[in-house]
Amino acid sequence: MARAKNDILQGTLALLVLRTLDVAGPMHGYAITSHIQVVSADLLRVEEGSLYPALHRMEQDGWLRSTWGSTEKNREARFYTITAKGRRQLAQEEESWSRLTEGVSRVLRYA
Amino acid sequence: MAWHHRILNIFRSNRISRDIQREIDFHITERVDDLVARGMPEAEARRAARRQFGNEGTQREETRRMDIADWVQSVAGDARYALRALLHSPVFAVVTIASLGLGIGANTTIFTLLDAVVLRPLAVTRPSELAYVSMDKVTVEGPSSGIDGDVYFTNPLWEQVRDRQTAFRAVTAFGETSFDLAEGGEAHRVAGSYVSGEFFRTFGVTAAAGRLFTKSDDIRGCAGSVVLSYRFWEREYGAAPDIVGKVIRLNGHPFEIAGIVGAAFRGPDVGRESDVYLPLCAMEVLHGRESELDARSSWWLRVIGRYAPGVDVRQAGARMAAIARASYEETIPQNWRVNDQREYVGRTLTVAPADRGFSDVRQRYRTALLSLMAGVVLILMIACANVANLLLSRAEARHRELAIRLAIGAGRGRLLRQLVTESMVLAVAGAVVGLFVARVGTTALVALITTPGPSGAVSLDLSLNWRLLSFTALAATVTVVLCGLLPAWRATRVSAQSAMKAQARGVVEGHTRFRLGKSLVVAQVALSLVLVVSAGFLVGTLNNLSRINPGFSAEGVLLATVGLRRAGVPAGAVGATHQRILERVRAMPGVASASSSDLTPVGSMSWNDEIVVDGFTPKTFMDAVTWFNEVSDGYFATMRTRLLGGRDFSSADVPGGEKVAIVNDAWGRKFFGNSSPLGRQFRVRAGNTLSAPYTIVGLVENSKYRTLREGSEPIAYVPSSQSAEPAPRRVVEVRAGGNPSALIPALRDILHEVNPGITVDFRTLSGQLATSLQRERMLAVLSGIFGSVALALAVLGLYGVTSYSVARRRGELGVRIALGAVRARVVRLVLGEVGIVVAIGLVIGTVGARVASTQVAPFLYGTEPADPFVYVGAALLLAAVAFMAGLIPAWRAARVDPIEALREQ
Repeated sequence: MARAKNDILQGTLALLVLRTLDVAGPMHGYAITSHIQVVSADLLRVEEGSLYPALHRMEQDGWLRSTWGSTEKNREARFYTITAKGRRQLAQEEESWSRLTEGVSRVLRYA
Repeated sequence: MAWHHRILNIFRSNRISRDIQREIDFHITERVDDLVARGMPEAEARRAARRQFGNEGTQREETRRMDIADWVQSVAGDARYALRALLHSPVFAVVTIASLGLGIGANTTIFTLLDAVVLRPLAVTRPSELAYVSMDKVTVEGPSSGIDGDVYFTNPLWEQVRDRQTAFRAVTAFGETSFDLAEGGEAHRVAGSYVSGEFFRTFGVTAAAGRLFTKSDDIRGCAGSVVLSYRFWEREYGAAPDIVGKVIRLNGHPFEIAGIVGAAFRGPDVGRESDVYLPLCAMEVLHGRESELDARSSWWLRVIGRYAPGVDVRQAGARMAAIARASYEETIPQNWRVNDQREYVGRTLTVAPADRGFSDVRQRYRTALLSLMAGVVLILMIACANVANLLLSRAEARHRELAIRLAIGAGRGRLLRQLVTESMVLAVAGAVVGLFVARVGTTALVALITTPGPSGAVSLDLSLNWRLLSFTALAATVTVVLCGLLPAWRATRVSAQSAMKAQARGVVEGHTRFRLGKSLVVAQVALSLVLVVSAGFLVGTLNNLSRINPGFSAEGVLLATVGLRRAGVPAGAVGATHQRILERVRAMPGVASASSSDLTPVGSMSWNDEIVVDGFTPKTFMDAVTWFNEVSDGYFATMRTRLLGGRDFSSADVPGGEKVAIVNDAWGRKFFGNSSPLGRQFRVRAGNTLSAPYTIVGLVENSKYRTLREGSEPIAYVPSSQSAEPAPRRVVEVRAGGNPSALIPALRDILHEVNPGITVDFRTLSGQLATSLQRERMLAVLSGIFGSVALALAVLGLYGVTSYSVARRRGELGVRIALGAVRARVVRLVLGEVGIVVAIGLVIGTVGARVASTQVAPFLYGTEPADPFVYVGAALLLAAVAFMAGLIPAWRAARVDPIEALREQ
């Protein structure tokens, strides 16, 4: 299967999810997808299916907590909240991301 | 890592799956709403939403895997699947589990005994600190049995060692005996020990109740008190706590019970446990002036010590050697000849580790158990080959199923795991059956090596321990690896294409799996031949020994050991009392004849002396030593030992008259060659003096003295009527008209009438002979069982492989029959195949059996490790049984209906 150009770089999904939940508060999976898409002005698109394994893994790792609740349309959905451990993880991932982008752009600029 | 959550989640896996499904459903519903809101028709929106989500099933599984430690669950699933599969083929499951159970059970049984008897250290505090003291360089034969060197001490020598030694923090001496609990009449014997004061301290054991002996309990002239073993306390007193301080009567003497020893302690003799412990000094209370405490040539004590701090075996040895000379010089046996005394003083003392204690049982059964261990390992191998073969056939039958599963994307590792799980389930079931077999087996085995009487009881701690558990686990694991992996490996190596193709047409496919099956059967046949040959040797040996003419007839003879010690008979009247008992017994109805003697043949006691014969110069000291027995008139008639010449003893042989003797043929030939010994004379040497001459008045046939295995040993008999100092203990031999045991009540009454204080033990002469063949019987029975099991397993394997081959060649056989092959020819074809397999197995097996026969060589009698009859017989037996096993499938092959067989194609 050929990947679409705007697919999310492997390993950055956790960063995006953590950041989204940190800024926008508790959210369900669909809202996370939409939020990332909207905020990135359609540049980034989460591969929807792979979101859920990632969410569950992060929960098992203790970065997220989840509870069942209802949406405005009164539908049952699972809401994810970032934990303290998740915030520490976020800080780390932001740090390594900026180092990566800085490194890459330096290479692009001077190489 | 929240791995514990993930494992816990296994138990709510259904809810988790449901939640994930709900979450995904919600996501898709939201997407559909959005798309519809943007104006897409609903049906199209649904399709688009699903497309956008991707492979829903995969993602669901993936998500689930994040929540659940799924490998655990899939293993459980595999096991469930395996169980279900096994239930579908019950015959396969039963045969496999029974094979494994027998193999593992037999291994565990023998290992349990081997562990208890040979491997395990004593159940005492830090057994590695214990060492036994022995004498080096003892050339006088007789007193010491030389089990682990010459470990028996006299009490005077022990006292010297005790007072002089510096090698041990605590040191103790102990000698075993038996005590009679009965007040009179039929004896109630229990195993006992005389122990020195520091006995329990040396072993570091504590009391379960009351107190144990200390140094102050063992002082000459003591009144004596008693410590009971834990098991005796349970058995005789129901573990009553108030027993301490009460009185117990041993041989009629009252002793106070001081305490009960802790449950774990079974004494320093592995296999023999004392019920009653008495301090050494109490021997004087029981035996008065016959006590052995001052006897300088009564060797009956063994010495064990616990190293002093910082002392090891080498230093202890040096320290003991340093005190040796002084100890020996103080205890020279005065009645020995000067040469022997000089040799005595020259002896030294040595020290050796005693962490596993002493053991007669170990001595007698060590090699036997090791050989049996080798035997059961062979059985396990045969069982494994069987199981491997069954698993192979089964895997073959599931060829297509596996091929399909591989074709639709099952991982090879996944399939392997599935198959290994199946063997795991089998092995676990087999191990459970095996443990059960072992439980029953060890009890039966201990019964097989136990002899009647207090000295014959075998006391072993056979409870389940970690060594045993790990051994069983190891046996099971090895079985799985051997039986499971190989067939699993082969089964998954199929290429899907070839498997399905092979099924479609009756091609005779690659012979690989078949060749492997056959070589397994070859191995089975070879291994079983080894076991059958060994069984042949050992059963043959027992048979030879039971058929020996011992020089007397044991059938129908009751032995009553009569003791006058507690009957208050004055020393001068002992002989007359024995005579009166004998006359009363002879008058009993149902008694054909009766006699009495000092010793009985093939019993536990013996008596030898050095004799002097004019004209005979002994080549060595032992050359002039012959066996003795003191018998009444009528002894030879009662035993049915033939009188070859001269006369029997009679009432005319009185103490004051000419001393007479009867000798056996071997005795006569040894000292007088071919001339008749009748009328000739010999003397007996006692220390530095010679006895008055004995005139030989009778000649009897040779008979066995100590064991059935011995050759014709020279024996001299002297009349009890001439005994200067008749012993209070004598054995009365009664030849009954019918069942000898039926005479016991009447005999007991007669003894009671003569004197109520008389003690008596009963046994039969044939029982005594059987006891002497205990080890041979155990080996014969076990090797017989092993041989049969091996044979049965091999036949099963052979039958399985032949049936399988016939089933596979149905098509080919159908064609042959259709083309006019006679059915007899088809039978020959199949049997020929069996014949080749068996023949190869037998050739290999013969070589193996010849090697193994050197193992059993020390047990053999009347046969030898190269005896061709045994090999040929075993091979014929195996071939015959194999022929039968092949006949059924061959018969089935011949009855193949060609039309049906071809239609199946």
